[in-house]
Amino acid sequence: MCQELGRHIRNAYNMVLHKFGEKLYSGLVSTMTFHLQEISISIEAAQGGLFLEELDRKWTDHNKALQMIRDILMYMDRTFIPNTHKTPVHELGLNLWRDNIIHSGKIQTRLLTTLLELILRERIGEVINRGLMRNIIKMLMDLGPSVYQEDFEKPFLEVSADFYRAESQKFIDCCDCGDYLKKAERRLNEEIERVSHYLDPKSEIKITNVVEKEMIENHMLRLVHMENSGLVNMLLDDKYEDLGRMYNLFRRVPNGLSTIRDVMTSHLRNTGKLLVTDPERLTDPVEFVQCLLNERDKYDKIINLAFNNDKSFQNALNSSFEFFINLNPRSPEFISLFVDDKLRKGLKGVSEEDVELVLDKVMTLFRYLQEKDVFEKYYKQHLAKRLLSGKTVSDDAERSLIVKLKTECGYQFTSKLEGMFTDMKTSQDTMQEFYAAHGAELGDGATLTVQVLTTGSWPTQPSVSCDLPAEMSALCEKFRSYYLGTHTGRRLTWQTNMGTADLKATFGKGQRHELNVSTYQMCVLVLFNNADRLSYKEIEQTTEIPSSDLKRCLQSLACVKGKNVLRKEPMSKDIGEEDAFFVNDKFTSKFYKVKIGTVVAQKESEPEKQETRQRVEEDRKPQIEAAIVRIMKSRRVLDHNNIITEVTKQLQSRFLANPGEIKKRMESLIERDFLERDTADRRLYRYLA
Amino acid sequence: MLAWKMQAEKQGYFTIEEWRRGLKALRADTIIKLKKALPELEKEVRRPSNFLDFYSYAFRYCLTEEKQKSIDIESICQLLDLVLGSQFHSQVDLFVQYIRTQVDYKVINMDQWMGFYRFCNEISFPDFSNYDPELAWPLILDNFVEWMRAKRS
Repeated sequence: MCQELGRHIRNAYNMVLHKFGEKLYSGLVSTMTFHLQEISISIEAAQGGLFLEELDRKWTDHNKALQMIRDILMYMDRTFIPNTHKTPVHELGLNLWRDNIIHSGKIQTRLLTTLLELILRERIGEVINRGLMRNIIKMLMDLGPSVYQEDFEKPFLEVSADFYRAESQKFIDCCDCGDYLKKAERRLNEEIERVSHYLDPKSEIKITNVVEKEMIENHMLRLVHMENSGLVNMLLDDKYEDLGRMYNLFRRVPNGLSTIRDVMTSHLRNTGKLLVTDPERLTDPVEFVQCLLNERDKYDKIINLAFNNDKSFQNALNSSFEFFINLNPRSPEFISLFVDDKLRKGLKGVSEEDVELVLDKVMTLFRYLQEKDVFEKYYKQHLAKRLLSGKTVSDDAERSLIVKLKTECGYQFTSKLEGMFTDMKTSQDTMQEFYAAHGAELGDGATLTVQVLTTGSWPTQPSVSCDLPAEMSALCEKFRSYYLGTHTGRRLTWQTNMGTADLKATFGKGQRHELNVSTYQMCVLVLFNNADRLSYKEIEQTTEIPSSDLKRCLQSLACVKGKNVLRKEPMSKDIGEEDAFFVNDKFTSKFYKVKIGTVVAQKESEPEKQETRQRVEEDRKPQIEAAIVRIMKSRRVLDHNNIITEVTKQLQSRFLANPGEIKKRMESLIERDFLERDTADRRLYRYLA
Repeated sequence: MLAWKMQAEKQGYFTIEEWRRGLKALRADTIIKLKKALPELEKEVRRPSNFLDFYSYAFRYCLTEEKQKSIDIESICQLLDLVLGSQFHSQVDLFVQYIRTQVDYKVINMDQWMGFYRFCNEISFPDFSNYDPELAWPLILDNFVEWMRAKRS
């Protein structure tokens, strides 16, 4: 064999050398062509399944022959062919194969049909000869990209599209969303696997596009909105796996994710809106806020587990919450009440880390509020009550929340709140010094504890003073003169509506109890040291407690089961001006210490709500004016619309400024000669130094 | 009008200077001549280039107290009728009706006064179709337009 080969090579060499290259080349062409035509016939003759095998076998042979021929004609390949710009031997061999076999009339169609049929069979579950497929496809690839694409890939993609179009239609009519998505995912994976086994890797993206388009893109909306199994149902039932699958499939198609996101957003907004406007929920502020937190947790988890922590979904969640939380004007108040409940009792015994968790969650809700200044007002009120009644579960928790608010809103927001804490501490020190200085002379009388509050820091209360019993007022006077002695230039006003008292009481049958009551209640009870029976009017006159407070006070002393240290005639539920009161000698309680209802922070009554709202509005006016002046001072001249925009932006962190209100403030500033309108362009305003 | 011509400072009073100035401008040195000059004066006042000045003067003329910046509603109603009544009869009528019924403002200031004149000149009546409350119109006019629209529907 080697000798033969060697002789052929030498002959070929000689032919080229002696200028017979042309003859050699054309001889090659004609010989090979003839040979291939014969092969073509034999391939065509193959029956059924043997067709491909025959093709494969002949191809392998052809390649081997080509190798040899190339070796033999190497000299020609290197000299004659480049000089004459003819097709090199190997390439020539491939082209001839292509033209005479692959593109032969009887073979071309049959080849394609056979390949596609095998793929179809595999798709419906049959096992096919993948090795054979791989060889044939490789042959097409070797013959050149245009052969692979024209003779296989393009029709393959078309046929696949038809297949998946039909299949998806069939599925969507009978499957629910979750199942459909499972099937789609399976098909997608199958195709990817198919490519890896016997197709050109470059086909992967093309066939996956086909599957994505036919199975997903064309049916997106129908899937998402499918009744009982669509996106909304998955969200409601926390179907993380299904949601994750939907996310992964939909992200492959244009607008896929935005479709999911939009449906999620509108669903969230609707349920949120229902939540915040549900009259039943609104009766329990703590429950209200807890529901909001639960909802948020739910969606956080969904976005985390199923939506790949996608930022755009996070944003959609946030914007939805921001939308519906602000639909209810009482949200700021309710959030403060929630915090109040937690700090009074909810967080009792909870570990430090868990406390932080709860507070951080509350902060996320806080961030959504548009009217942060309303929250501040309520928070201040509630904090004051907590501090003064000593009812806070953890000082650390309180301070931690203040720090978070400061980080969020800046120093101004929390400076007054911090002032309140300072006052409490300072008062403690003051009391110690007071008793150190005067303890001896005060002897065994009542013990006084005073909290001195700085007026600016604490929520404004109307200061109504009642008449304290003699011993108390004497003590208070002693404190007042002590305090003013060490702090000149200050003024002290007793806030008798905010204090508490502990009284030791002995009842008719000798029962002894310690009663924890409000200052007002103390004033009333002490009167019974000197009288057995007192009428409403007598009590009112002596104590000078304002009537609405007095009625509430007497009600809590006489009408509440288990706390009725007083007896009332008549025994009606309400306090009438003609009622008479007695000590309830039959009073019993299994506890020694009895606490008689100090008013806990309640949801505000209607008139109180109006008042708070009004105060908030009043407070906003100077803030708006300050913002306008700040802006105009730096810009000097600015047009109307830009002023509105800038002012709104500056105040955004506290509340949403009303353009009408901004206008009003500007007119007020014009009147007071801070600003003027430009004479030429009436849209412009000018700052007057 | 006479006061305007004389540029009188104080309502109800003319100083000798002002008197002289005004009469000289009117070229009148007798009562008869003064009477004759009045129709001319009125025409002069009505000339657009002068009217704006006259209009703003009319407001200032009614500020009787020192440091006074606004005029009470009732007086404004009279003044508007006097000064703009013939030119913008319906607008004035309606506006006067409005400010008498609303409660937000108890007085009118110069800015609002001037705003109303521009309003009559620029805004189509009675539909107000080209009125844009987002622009720098005084708030009282925003409210007026809203009131008119509500009334109409």
